[in-house]
Amino acid sequence: MKNPLSPIPKRRFLSGLFGRRRGNRISVANPTSIVSVELMEKTRVYFPEAHLDPVKMAELAAAGYEILGFDSIMPEFSVQQEAEALGCVVDWGNPTMMPDAKTHPAKEADQLTIPDNLLEKPSLQVVLRALEILRRNYGDQVALIGKVMGPWTLSYHLAGVQEFLLWILTDPDKVRGFLNRLKEVTITFAKSQLQAGADVVVVADHATGDLISPKTYQDFLLPVHQEINQRIGGPTILHICGNCSDRLRLFVEAGFDGYHFEWQVDAKMAVRVVNHEMSLVGNIANKNVLFGGTPEDVYKQARYSIEAGVDILAPECAVPLQTPIANLKALVEAAKEGYSKMSC
Amino acid sequence: MKKEEIDSFYRALRDTNLVTMETLVKEYIGKGITPISILNEGLIGAMSVIGQEFKTSQIWVPEVLLAARNMNRGIEILKPELQREKVSSKGKFVIGTVKGDIHDIGKNLVVMMMTGAGYEVIDLGTDVPKDRFLEVISKEQPDFIGLSALLTTTMLEMGEVVKAIRQALPHPPRIVVGGAPLTQTFADEIRADGYAEDAVRAVELVNRLLTEEGRK
Repeated sequence: MKNPLSPIPKRRFLSGLFGRRRGNRISVANPTSIVSVELMEKTRVYFPEAHLDPVKMAELAAAGYEILGFDSIMPEFSVQQEAEALGCVVDWGNPTMMPDAKTHPAKEADQLTIPDNLLEKPSLQVVLRALEILRRNYGDQVALIGKVMGPWTLSYHLAGVQEFLLWILTDPDKVRGFLNRLKEVTITFAKSQLQAGADVVVVADHATGDLISPKTYQDFLLPVHQEINQRIGGPTILHICGNCSDRLRLFVEAGFDGYHFEWQVDAKMAVRVVNHEMSLVGNIANKNVLFGGTPEDVYKQARYSIEAGVDILAPECAVPLQTPIANLKALVEAAKEGYSKMSC
Repeated sequence: MKKEEIDSFYRALRDTNLVTMETLVKEYIGKGITPISILNEGLIGAMSVIGQEFKTSQIWVPEVLLAARNMNRGIEILKPELQREKVSSKGKFVIGTVKGDIHDIGKNLVVMMMTGAGYEVIDLGTDVPKDRFLEVISKEQPDFIGLSALLTTTMLEMGEVVKAIRQALPHPPRIVVGGAPLTQTFADEIRADGYAEDAVRAVELVNRLLTEEGRK
């Protein structure tokens, strides 16, 4: 039977996100950054300017579609846009270095001040304006992905990772205080990104599998994530790094449309456990494959994930800046082979 | 020390209240137990249980951070006693996150675990240039150097540090490396003496290298 879904990137992505009408092949997208030094050289748009200027941000982000052939454009490359708006001093890095927060100004929940004009802060405005530019230029054809930091990640930025993790045991009320205040930043920024033109917003919240237990996620973050999803309204994808094999059902319960996951989580197991109640986006390994491997290595992993039944193919996380373009293109090439008989 | 006694140190390491550890160490000093026994059998013995539980995912990073905080407090109380008895450490370990990298949680876990395992640790912090490593090696004559990096860009800097140490010193300390983007292959390529995936394995690696050194 001829498939009725025409091969337009945006439709391919959206059907993957909602887990239906698979079309002739899997969608390839990037919930996190796929910018590399090579991509900056090709577009002549470099870090750190691309984090701070909406026109440059949009231009560099669009290269993911124009040059690499991905179905999506995701303009927020760093994880520090909100951190600066909330008062952290951010080193915006350079072409080979991602930005990093240099100060962690809040040690108590009542020291957290969320500015009334949050969305007017330059580091947030740049993302909203870049999305508007992208909507005008690509909104009919390409999936536009927004990205916000969840309250757990924002707490790392504002309090420091080590301090925050220790409070889980020594001062759980303080942890809850931080999450409750900072969730407002996540919701506000996500809603405005959807209004600016994003088709879906990635909620990156680094309660990673290697750092905290599933019970900690369940006790502290699950109710907050449920509220975030309710209040954002539009589609969301959760991004949490690390091996989260033991808590996939909790992410389903949290109400995300998709989960962006790592290679450490076996795709076949994930598909079985999640049971199409949430789409799976991933999970090609960065370190050994996209960054350190060959196009053949990328091909093999991509085919494994496709055959396992992953809904959207993607790098597992923001790719290292030295990732070769040839490896990123190999991901798209692997997808173009379509589904195997086994995965039909 | 009996198993029940080690268990009481274990409970003190897991307790969110620092007073539990303070009281316990003081109680053992008061009982006339040697400080080396309190350190090796009590604190280090209990910390190795924590390490194993972490390795097998029975506990997570917050519990390790808490245990390390409590352990440090225990050692602080014990220090004057140890100095009085001139107890020597297993070896001297200098560690730092290489230049360009300001991430330190992994490095801090290694510092805590190494201290907990009985090594004298000198922590140079983050964003450490190679000249600073060379300067400290000349001054402190450590047995081991630990290099940490979280970023793929800064892991390349590690190679530069290893090269500089090997070029500058005829008998360099053993160099061990670790950090999220690293692999054993990369560690071999830059000619490090060892690679460890996490803080517990770092202690096991250094213990092994120390034993090998002793056999030579």
